[in-house]
Formats: sequence, C-alpha cells, structure tokens
Amino acid sequence: MKKNLKIIFLVLASILFFIIFYYALKINKKNNPRVMLNTVLPTIELVSLKDKTKKIFLPTANKDKYFLLNIWSSWCVPCRDEHQILSKLKDKIKIYGINYKDEQSNAISFLNELGNPFYFIGTDRNGSISIEIGAYGVPETYIVNSQGIIIFKHVGPINNHVYSTINKIIK
Amino acid sequence: MRSFFFIFLFCLFVFPKICFSSTDREVDIYKNIRCLVCQGQSLNDSNSNFAKDLKQVIKKKILEKKTNKEIYEYLTDRYGDWILFNPPLKKSTILLWAIPGIFVLLGFVLLIKRTQLTSLNKDN
Repeated sequence: MKKNLKIIFLVLASILFFIIFYYALKINKKNNPRVMLNTVLPTIELVSLKDKTKKIFLPTANKDKYFLLNIWSSWCVPCRDEHQILSKLKDKIKIYGINYKDEQSNAISFLNELGNPFYFIGTDRNGSISIEIGAYGVPETYIVNSQGIIIFKHVGPINNHVYSTINKIIK
Repeated sequence: MRSFFFIFLFCLFVFPKICFSSTDREVDIYKNIRCLVCQGQSLNDSNSNFAKDLKQVIKKKILEKKTNKEIYEYLTDRYGDWILFNPPLKKSTILLWAIPGIFVLLGFVLLIKRTQLTSLNKDN
C-alpha cells in the first residue's frame, strides 16, 4: 500500500513538472527588443556632428506630430543599404540621426556620397546615448510622437516592409 | 567532522555569495548581465560593441554612487528582465525562485525520516 502511494506520488509529481516545464518552454523568454515601446523616450542631449557648439535635447526639441530617430554609422554596411529609404522618408518626417562611434570625417564623407536625409545629426562617441534609449547597436530606428512616446522601434536596417509600416504610422 | 564538511558544502552551493564574497563590485554586476547581442555570454565575458558600451555606462553609474538595484532597474527598464541572469522576484518568476527551496526542504524531510528510520533499526 505504501509502495503504491509512493508510485502515485512520483507519477503525479512527474506529470506536474511536465506541465510546468511545458508551459515554461512555451513562454517567450527570448530577448524582446521592443521593451521601450509605448514608453517615453528618455531625454537625450545631442551635440551636432558638424558644429560642436550646437546641441539639442530630444524629445523636447521636437514640435511635430512625429519624428524619426535613426542610429547610424559610416562603418556600418546595413546603414548604407537603408540610407536610400531614409532619403525617401525625409520629406515626410523629420529625421534625427545619432552618429554612433564614428569619425566625424568618415561620417561627413558618407553623407556627401549618399546624401543627407537628416534634419539634425548628433554624435554618440562612446555609445552611451544609444544605451540610454535602449538600443543594441547600428542601425536602429525609432518613431516618437509629440508626447515623446516611442510608438515604433526597429532593430536592423529599414527594408521595404518597414518603410511601408512607417508610412502607415505617419500618414 | 563529517557534519562540518556537509555544512561547508551546503554553504558553498546555497550561499556562494556569503562564502566567497567578491570585492570587485563591477565584475559582480557584469557577471549578472547578459550580453544581448552575443550567444549566452555574460557582459564580463564579452567584447562586443554592445558589451563595451554597457560596461562604460555601468562604470559611470557606480561612480555616480548608484546602488546595484538602481543599476539593474536602469537596465531592465531599457532591455527587459532578460538582460539579467538572475531574474527579479516577480509574480511570473515566483515558481522559479520557489522550486529550489521546495527541493531543499523536501531533501531535509527525507534526510530526517531516513535518520529516524536508521536509528529505529539500530535500536531494534
């Protein structure tokens, strides 16, 4: 009788653990890059890439309904790919750029070669501004509304699908 | 002597922080932070751009006299709980924290029962 009870207890415990682990595996515990979505963009100070005496604070500097924030670098190959899409967006939304860990001369050459879609470019020499806004690296794109809330975030280069999503948001 | 050895082993596995407290606070924090762009590496083991940036930010926060809790909060606000190797105690993680305790308790109960049985057998 005691032995049977032990077996029943073991079987029940195994079933319980199976159920727990089964559901635990189903929960998406993977990294979620959109943690900051629908939260207020932390205030960041951007010092101009071209003129170090000029600086702005985001999101407070923005007076428009939306603005786009893009982290880029001249050494980043995917940034080159998304640059033409940013150029298509520049007339639809103000684009603020964060130039991530780059040399000023390289960044300016990059813009001279591919065009400048940015309304303002700030520098992030040590990557701390990118960390402040919860970024992982380059390229990364955010859309922030007039209340300073991040309403869209994309990690990686903007492709045509992301471009149409952005268009739908800012329409 | 044997019981001391078992107590030592128990301490070693259950309270490693108490037995071997590291003086290097920075490294302690790095070891508890996941490098989000690497494969299962901690910040301490990683040399990625992301890890380097994050280490600088943490160093600055320590200099600003922020507590570990404040630093972890800063990071989880931006990257979620996934960035910590030790998940915080929350409703969703209560089972995760409780299971080891339950097993330790069960182990103690079994140990006591066994000891009682052995002593009873010896008496008989």
